[in-house]
Amino acid sequence: MSERSDSDDVGEHVRTELIQFVRALRRDGAAVPANAAPTAARALAAVGLENRRRVRTALRASLLTDSADFETFDRLFEAFWRRLTAGLEDERSLSSLAAESDGLAPLGEPAVDENAPGESTDSDHAGRATGRSLAESFATAAPADTDADSDDTEATAALYSPSGVASTVDGRALTDAGDLSTAFRELTRALAGLQGRRFEPGSDRAAIRRALRTSVSTGGTVLSLPKRERQRTDVRALVVVDVSQSVIDAVDRGFLIDVLRQARRHWRDTRVFFFDEELREVTEAVDAPSSQAAIAALEAAETAWGGGTQIGGSLEGLRERAPDAIDRRTVVFVISDGLDRGDVGVLERELSWIARRAKRVLWLNPLAATASYEPAARGMAAALPYIDGLFAFADPSDVVELARQLRQQGVGGRIGYEFDTRENRQTTTRTVTNT
Amino acid sequence: MEDEPTTAFADVTERDVHTAFEEQDYVAEDEIVTTVLLALRLGKPLLVEGEPGAGKTELAKVLASSLGDELIRLQCYEGLTAEHALYEWNYTKQLLAVQSGADPEASVFSEDYLLERPLLRALRHDGDFPPVLLIDEIDRADDEFEALLLEVLSDFQVSVPELGTVSAERPPIVIVTSNRTRALSDALKRRCLYLHVEPPSVEKETAILCRKVPQLDGVVATELCAMAARLREEPLRKPPGAAETIDWARAIATMRDDGDGTLSRETLQNTLGCLLKEVEDVERVDDDLLTDLLDAAEQARADP
Repeated sequence: MSERSDSDDVGEHVRTELIQFVRALRRDGAAVPANAAPTAARALAAVGLENRRRVRTALRASLLTDSADFETFDRLFEAFWRRLTAGLEDERSLSSLAAESDGLAPLGEPAVDENAPGESTDSDHAGRATGRSLAESFATAAPADTDADSDDTEATAALYSPSGVASTVDGRALTDAGDLSTAFRELTRALAGLQGRRFEPGSDRAAIRRALRTSVSTGGTVLSLPKRERQRTDVRALVVVDVSQSVIDAVDRGFLIDVLRQARRHWRDTRVFFFDEELREVTEAVDAPSSQAAIAALEAAETAWGGGTQIGGSLEGLRERAPDAIDRRTVVFVISDGLDRGDVGVLERELSWIARRAKRVLWLNPLAATASYEPAARGMAAALPYIDGLFAFADPSDVVELARQLRQQGVGGRIGYEFDTRENRQTTTRTVTNT
Repeated sequence: MEDEPTTAFADVTERDVHTAFEEQDYVAEDEIVTTVLLALRLGKPLLVEGEPGAGKTELAKVLASSLGDELIRLQCYEGLTAEHALYEWNYTKQLLAVQSGADPEASVFSEDYLLERPLLRALRHDGDFPPVLLIDEIDRADDEFEALLLEVLSDFQVSVPELGTVSAERPPIVIVTSNRTRALSDALKRRCLYLHVEPPSVEKETAILCRKVPQLDGVVATELCAMAARLREEPLRKPPGAAETIDWARAIATMRDDGDGTLSRETLQNTLGCLLKEVEDVERVDDDLLTDLLDAAEQARADP
């Protein structure tokens, strides 16, 4: 245990300002652990108060746990430093404080810092030409703009509208829940089957280590051979839905809502975002007691259907506002036709970030339900290198096909709309449901 | 207030850490030096986050080399369990002992049958100096493993049911790295000091190359770093880190047979595989981008 507590090492003024600083950080949304303030006090005692850069580094290391909070920290630190130094000067000069307080031992070579109120000098080490090795130290101390896709879609489908007119949701043509339930169960099984390396008791292969362990108690006789198999873990997902006019004209809204509700109900952790020209989270609204209630909740929340599409900008908003929504366990579904009126460079940049972070990225495109579909739209073409599969998405049979391909080929295999072998795909032309 | 472990590095100074980094050719900003020093002086684990290739693992290696003692590395992966990280019983040896019936009174759950794994080895380390325990890519492990780590990281001890509690006489220096592919638990984070390692700037990367690949001409090193920086502006699936740039520089240094101090388009094209590891990223480098890269190199040469 430390010989002294932080209370011995820093003065009342420093403690007070530190507590105020921690409160301000928390108030502005930074994730500061409960025990961070005492740790920060010890850190200040270790680095001293003479050098602004060291104080800043010490507090960043001890108070923060996420680089996303750096901006908040930097903004609040300026005020903290002003109050701290002003208070210290009121009590005594900084130099005399450093000399009197053995708990604020300087750290050797002072760093160059034009903002520091005074440069510290390390009398203990000033005579040294070079620093000691760490081992020596230890020893001494030790104790917008596409049209290609539209050309291929059926005439009754809505053409791409660069800035469609927004309309609030209404529920029509709800899909047969039975069909979707079966399809969704298949999808869940397929996604769970993709999961990692962890084993659990099962039937796939012999568990040699467990067999040896249990045989110790029987003198080395193996009475039964335990088996193990890859663990099926719960599905975690993020669903980002393009609700621009061109998409909702091509997909059954009831079907879409039911898919989202099934995902919320059956998967471990699913967050749902809608976007057109901006992004908004609708997870809570999707959780309403029934599909109609969910749609009503979305209406009440003034979620607009239709309008233009800024896919890249919306994904940028996702990264900025909810970066923790995606991690290596998350399967990301983007439901969009890929008709983007935003900056395609932004789309590429954001998708590359998502692809690096997510477990899988699957793009569900209602236009891909058409047999002659080709991802020639600028946004869709830009997205292709960053996604693990592009699939049709218009009715429950598309969900079944998605699950079938995932189960048979795995995500690394030959999957996607181009390997959709449904016979009716060659003859059926999707019609718009929004009539 | 919770008790803090005794630290053996109360006398270490910032200059010491800086010198240690210098001797190991590890280019570090002041912020890294100060944070490492704090971790040593406070005896707290250091959680290091940053993009792949930013030098997180290297940091632990440098510390281990500077201390002149052992680097104990635990590489995390999905499915990592206590028996792989802590200890395991030598079942084969136990079986032989039971079958031979040499000493019926002796327990087969004793030290003789214990196989140490990295965490236990770090706690029971018996050297003159503390070891450096590198828990690499903790974000790849499961939540359950994180929970297992908590006792180790806060108290530097672990409970072995058959042996009792094992405590470290000299707490190891713990470096935990994460690529941020998933969020870590608050319980883990609050036990650690936090350091975010930024991707290297062109200047820092040039300094790294000059140290790591001394046979490479300094001007060429500047060119390579400028091109790597330009490449990172592209939305790549796997942007090159400093480690890839070093590989690239070594390849260039090996291939170079002229002394004119410039890189040809052909050389650039033939060696891009050292930088880019995804086929989509390689395909992205078309003639236009190659021209941009060479322009960036030329500008760096003209304006060092």
